Amino acid sequence: MSRILVYGLLFCVVALALLPILWGLSTALKTKGEVVTYPPRWVPRPPTLRNFAAVLRETSMPRYFANSLLIGLCTVGVTLLVAAHAGYALARFTFPGKQVLAFGILATAMIPGISVLVPLYALASKVKLYDGYSILVIVCSAWQVPTTMWLLKGFFEAVPRELDESALIDGCSRWSAFYRVILPLSRPGLAAAALLTFIFVWNDFLIAFTLTVSNSRRVIAVGLYQYISQYGIEWGELMAAVVLALLPVMALFLALQRHFISGLTAGAMKG
Amino acid sequence: MLPAVVLAAGISLYPILYAIYLSLFRTRYLEKVAFVGLGNYRQLWADPAAWQNLIHSLQYVFGSLAVVLPFGLGVAILLNQRIRYRSIFRTLVVLPWVVSQTILALLWGWLLNPDFGPAMYLLQVLGAGKFSPLSDVRFALPTMIGVNAWGSYPMAVILLLAALQTIPGELVEASRVDGASRWQYFLRIMLPLIRPTLMVTTIMLSLLYFNMVTLVLILTGGGPSQTTEVLSLRALKEGFDFWRVGYAATLGIVIFVFNIIFSLLYLRLLREEGVR
Repeated sequence: MSRILVYGLLFCVVALALLPILWGLSTALKTKGEVVTYPPRWVPRPPTLRNFAAVLRETSMPRYFANSLLIGLCTVGVTLLVAAHAGYALARFTFPGKQVLAFGILATAMIPGISVLVPLYALASKVKLYDGYSILVIVCSAWQVPTTMWLLKGFFEAVPRELDESALIDGCSRWSAFYRVILPLSRPGLAAAALLTFIFVWNDFLIAFTLTVSNSRRVIAVGLYQYISQYGIEWGELMAAVVLALLPVMALFLALQRHFISGLTAGAMKG
Repeated sequence: MLPAVVLAAGISLYPILYAIYLSLFRTRYLEKVAFVGLGNYRQLWADPAAWQNLIHSLQYVFGSLAVVLPFGLGVAILLNQRIRYRSIFRTLVVLPWVVSQTILALLWGWLLNPDFGPAMYLLQVLGAGKFSPLSDVRFALPTMIGVNAWGSYPMAVILLLAALQTIPGELVEASRVDGASRWQYFLRIMLPLIRPTLMVTTIMLSLLYFNMVTLVLILTGGGPSQTTEVLSLRALKEGFDFWRVGYAATLGIVIFVFNIIFSLLYLRLLREEGVR
């Protein structure tokens, strides 16, 4: 294929990928009047940060950001803790029923979220966790653990067995062999798992939408949704909030994309 | 190991069983009023709106696949060429992957805004009249498919590119030496080699599309006149708008069954490929 054609087409695809996001950014930087000029203008003249200031000062968005961050970090912690131990057990031990358990856990990842939302709601109200942070962390973790476990199992299996055996001979216990030898060597896998889990929580709408109700528990995605239904749409401010919500994940992605790709492809090739 | 089992059992297995149980009852809010056996399923079978929902879901799934698979494969092939700055191109091209369904809906809702959106301006410059694609019964579903395609093609690109990169370069050269055209190389060598990945990608995307709620809810809310109300959105509405919990559970189970059918079908196809 001729070089020029390849580059030309790639530029078109890049434009397609970026323009919608740039349009959002451009809108966020416009004044109220410029947002509604027609024909639409791509470069704000002059750009203003007023929308961002309004979002940060006059709305509850900062609170929602903090909530998302808190739930995201907790979920990453719980998911990694649970999934790493399970993955290690699958990678290194033999015990009766192992195959059944492994596939049983993985199979739960096949249950569509929408099918269990109603029962989860009922369950959450019954155990009095409805509208709390903990239920979000628990549900998000439960949905992430199966695939994360599988991902980490792959990384643990890639560590040569001789390494933990020699650690055992050197007097390490099983636990410390795991913590001191295998985990550090699987850091890329842990990073990939942590990133995918965090993004999952940050981007989740459904779990939070159905399992929380009060303003103080609201996460960023639900906050954005309420924003359009509550105030009538102020596009400049809405896009400023969108840009703020997009920034952290985009920064993570740009900085650490190698881990993302390896995590995604490893997760998908599981079958 | 144990905590993983407990979490999976408590938050996925138990609820789906509970959903099956709930689907056998007539309910008022969360209270079970009467055991109706398969009554909810019978009601669903006789519900013309539900059939419409199912048709929309299938149109949505296959429409999106028809856009995303060829486009994703094309982009993956482009990225697999010997080019400079490949990793930069790849990063930028798959960037929409981080855009959540919520933001996807808000961003595109604004891009497609009939009064001030650049997409509509472009159409008008090209000579189309002023219209609002998301509130027009003819265009709402295709538009939603387009938005969904923008948000989900990176997944296909990432997976297919990984598969393409496992094809050894010698194969390309060997086929060229043997006088095969590019097109023959594509059909006879590349496609068969990446077929398993193509299949896995298809399964993952189909399930993602079939179970998708957030994008539809925020972009159109199922409107105009229910033309974009897919089965999964209906399940959410029955459960959390109308509080017909038993009926919502029934819909959830039906969706789950469709997921299983999808996966089994594709896996079967994949296995037959393997035998041949």
